[in-house]
Amino acid sequence: MTTSLRELQALFWQLLQAPEGVEARWAAMRDAGWTAHGDLSDCIAPSARMTPVEHLEIYSNMYFVRLRDCLEEDYPKLCEWIGPESFRRLVVDYLLAHPPSHFSLREVGRALPGFLSSHPLHGKDEQLAGLAALEWARVDVFDERDAEPVSRETLVAEAAADPDGFSVSLIPASRILPVAAGVLPLWRRLDTGVEAAPDASRAAEPAVVLVWRRDSSIRHRSLASDEARALEGLRSKPATVVRLAERVLAGSDLDASHDAGPQRFAEILDRWTHDGILVRASVESRPGLLD
Amino acid sequence: MQLDSAHRARSHRSPRRQAGSLGHGVGLRREHFDRVLAAPSEVDWFEVISENFMVRGGRPLAILDRVRRDHPVVLHGVSLSIGSTDPIDGGYLAQLEELIDRVEPAWVSDHLCWTHVGGFNSHDLLPLPYTDEALDHVCDRVEAVQSRLGRAIALENPSTYLRFAAEQIPEWEFLAEVARRAGCGVLLDVNNVFVSASNHDFDADTYLRAIPPESVWQIHLAGHTDCGTHLLDTHSRAVCDEVWDLYRDATRRFGEIPTLVEWDADLPEWEVLEAESERARAIQREELTGRGEGPP
Repeated sequence: MTTSLRELQALFWQLLQAPEGVEARWAAMRDAGWTAHGDLSDCIAPSARMTPVEHLEIYSNMYFVRLRDCLEEDYPKLCEWIGPESFRRLVVDYLLAHPPSHFSLREVGRALPGFLSSHPLHGKDEQLAGLAALEWARVDVFDERDAEPVSRETLVAEAAADPDGFSVSLIPASRILPVAAGVLPLWRRLDTGVEAAPDASRAAEPAVVLVWRRDSSIRHRSLASDEARALEGLRSKPATVVRLAERVLAGSDLDASHDAGPQRFAEILDRWTHDGILVRASVESRPGLLD
Repeated sequence: MQLDSAHRARSHRSPRRQAGSLGHGVGLRREHFDRVLAAPSEVDWFEVISENFMVRGGRPLAILDRVRRDHPVVLHGVSLSIGSTDPIDGGYLAQLEELIDRVEPAWVSDHLCWTHVGGFNSHDLLPLPYTDEALDHVCDRVEAVQSRLGRAIALENPSTYLRFAAEQIPEWEFLAEVARRAGCGVLLDVNNVFVSASNHDFDADTYLRAIPPESVWQIHLAGHTDCGTHLLDTHSRAVCDEVWDLYRDATRRFGEIPTLVEWDADLPEWEVLEAESERARAIQREELTGRGEGPP
């Protein structure tokens, strides 16, 4: 029986994804009528040292090992937290549900946080999906588009010179994500080996986290509610400094007519420019999009 | 899609001849970034995995730009999937073109294999059945890719761990015929020849003799692991003596071919990798100046 190149590749792919073993997968495929071949040796030649199944096992084993290594690199803290054996089982479950479709290994782990949130492991530990989401956000900003952050001095000077025209947006290499209670202390503990300080009670609550890249360094921190609201808005639309101040104050309990409001905005602006997360909005993003 | 004969002739010659011999290089890996940028080395050029740099920004591209300022760079891909029966991924080629424009590589290479099927990617260099059907298919796709990129590419012989029952053509003849018909170059991985020869009980010298010397643009060297029942191309150790011997044979047959040492797992200190490259340089010099043995 002649097997076309297309049929051979489809067969190979099915047998590659066989955590239960190539022989069991082949038997299941035959039973299901997936292939008309009676014997695997119709497709794969046996050798003096190995059967066709053993030859294919080399590729099947490499498939899972290679992708697990890749995911372990993207999710080192998740792997450490649940242990290598649980991580190995999670990876198998994940790859069967989300076989890679992108040409780059970099994308293999993109769907893991979402997958984890409905995985039985998550039922035992609700921090897992958040921990994974945080690790993925850090991966995601690592090679995101470069942009030159504006300094505090530039921002103040340009906003004063052109209050209605000068606008800023969030650097591309940034992500904002909500995480469940305990995720940030867990990340820190896994990173430093030190338990969170007892007074870090806020970090044990649900948080909105900013992840960003400054030069080559990946950072994250929790956001206050007024910051989070303003940055979420900035993420979708550039804003003038005046508009930004309005957004911050709208997200806080402070009154813009009193000193506390402007003072809070000045603090936040100091922090954002120090973090390097604001960029001059590009010219093409301004018309019709400026908020 | 057919290329005219003049184009084919140019394709065979252009990258290697225009660049002269690049000399001796190593694969640029993240673990060595700082060392490569910090001090000069004996390495003449670098090869990078194309897909690792098909990104929007950040440190990888910044490092690549800095390395490129001082050294020739070759783009070596792993996801072209030239043998796949899926359509050629236009999005992949667009990003490769963007990287080519940025890097201006000495040449571009990938593997004689397939990686994706049915919209899924194995992220492995899977073997092709060496049949007439596959030969026609690969040649057509190489020509299409070269037409799109506006340049010839080189294809590397992979290490393989199985053979298909339908095989009609020895791998070496298949590779030589792809190069001849599609006008592409050959990236001859001497370690892969050794690994596959051992795994499939063929003669490595027969393989080398079948490859037209004018088609060889580059040679790869690497280490492999003996798994008992088979050899595995792990790139995790030094080049073994048998592969160095085969490299001597290849140098005598093919001449002054740019040679690159790959090391991807259990990476050693930079100096160890550099020494491997220098050993290749010394062997090539010995063979080309007649201080080695006679022609095979």
